[in-house]
Amino acid sequence: MTLDVIPIHVVPRHAGAALPGEPGLSGNAPPLLRELAEQVRHLLETGEPSAIDLSALPLTPADLDWLREKLGSGEIAVTLQANGESTLDETACAGVWWVTHRNEQGAVASQFIEVAFVPELVKAHPADVAIGRERLEFMVSENH
Amino acid sequence: MQGPLIDTLARQGVSRRTFLKYCATLASMMALPPAAGLAMAEAMAAARRPSVIWLPFQECTGCTESITRSHSPTLEGMIFDMISLDYQETLMAAAGHQAEEALHAAMKANHGKYLLIVDGSIPLGQDGAYSCIGGRSNLEILKEAAQGAAAIIAVGTCAAYGGIPKARPNPTGAVSVSDIVKDKPIVNIPGCPPVPVVMTGVLAHYLTFGSLPDLDDKGRPRAFFGETIHDRCYRRPFYDQGKFAKTFDDKGARRGWCLFELGCKGPVTHNACATAKWNGGTSWPVESGHGCLGCSEPDFWDAGDFYKALSMPAHPPTSVVAAPVAGATAGAAAGFANRAKKNAARKARQPITVADLEK
Repeated sequence: MTLDVIPIHVVPRHAGAALPGEPGLSGNAPPLLRELAEQVRHLLETGEPSAIDLSALPLTPADLDWLREKLGSGEIAVTLQANGESTLDETACAGVWWVTHRNEQGAVASQFIEVAFVPELVKAHPADVAIGRERLEFMVSENH
Repeated sequence: MQGPLIDTLARQGVSRRTFLKYCATLASMMALPPAAGLAMAEAMAAARRPSVIWLPFQECTGCTESITRSHSPTLEGMIFDMISLDYQETLMAAAGHQAEEALHAAMKANHGKYLLIVDGSIPLGQDGAYSCIGGRSNLEILKEAAQGAAAIIAVGTCAAYGGIPKARPNPTGAVSVSDIVKDKPIVNIPGCPPVPVVMTGVLAHYLTFGSLPDLDDKGRPRAFFGETIHDRCYRRPFYDQGKFAKTFDDKGARRGWCLFELGCKGPVTHNACATAKWNGGTSWPVESGHGCLGCSEPDFWDAGDFYKALSMPAHPPTSVVAAPVAGATAGAAAGFANRAKKNAARKARQPITVADLEK
């Protein structure tokens, strides 16, 4: 049996061609932009961060692509190696971060859009900083 | 974040960020708001190791396979190390009299405090002779172990509701844990097998909050079983738009449309597959193109054809602003109608053969 017997054909999607109403798009993504605008307003007024849990919403893979493309990419992209790779990428809208947690096999474990000046995960924990200081002091004492 | 658990993890080379990431994902799977991840991390870091005894009864070891193999080695595995697993036949090195001694030692040392995990149903036919360990029936062992347990976790549909052994004609007289034990808190974690992270999530909840999670009317933790597969399904928008796959190889199937008409039991099945997924988050039944079988619901094996569509509501709700009282009545009426249909389906049920699957 050859591959063309299987009646499934991959249709490449052109960049920017994805609009609600096209195959794969549910139309559930555009309202999230409004929610993000509200969350950014809240961040500016109160300084409180917030987040949207993308895996909790009925979004198709095409919806996620559409949203990601719409938000664009910003200046900062953080990669975290912790039990699999995580990426925390700033979007073209400063303060809006696209956060993807992957497991060790590389599959997406959870996905969020965080609205914050800096995502919590990026900051160093004081206890870890204290361990870092101990290490530095040890290095200093070793050199004497 | 400070405490025994985070210290133990730190010694194993697990960083705080890894732990925070794990908690964020866990909170997402438990359908908690994103901010809950941090609160969970704070509480869980300070957790202590409870003693856990795991008893296997009339089961296929699928539940053990699920909890141990499919997610290992990940942080869930380490959290599992964070409990003191004192008896688990499949995983323990001891065998025979040694194993039985370990069981009794653990039960005695932690009397009134240990968590008892049970997988498999309990056969009552022939005085329980269908399933015995060390010459004693499952019924006898369960009654003894339940006495000293703080709580019981019934893992898998068999332990929770009787499962496949209890399916008609139920040759062994299988029953669930809650059919026998009446005086202890019981958490049901159904599924055939249950999603690994749901099992570890309930343990994590116990470690985090020091109590058992909120349960629904079927004894399942609401955090994982609060919503239906259908409500959290990424194909749900196609249901709302009326776009259905009619066969497994038509245009709709290729475009990933809703599998309702192909018999998907997602609308009546409460489980976390749609968000937690399987095989380390790779995929899940609906994503791979097959409808949900409803394996986490009681009597799923006898609830009608896997490939027949669920009945449509006779009078679909027309207005969402209907008065709550009217809504409740309509809900109850629909409930009765569904029960009648389910009973009819049960009566009309034909066993599925290999030929049916190949049709």
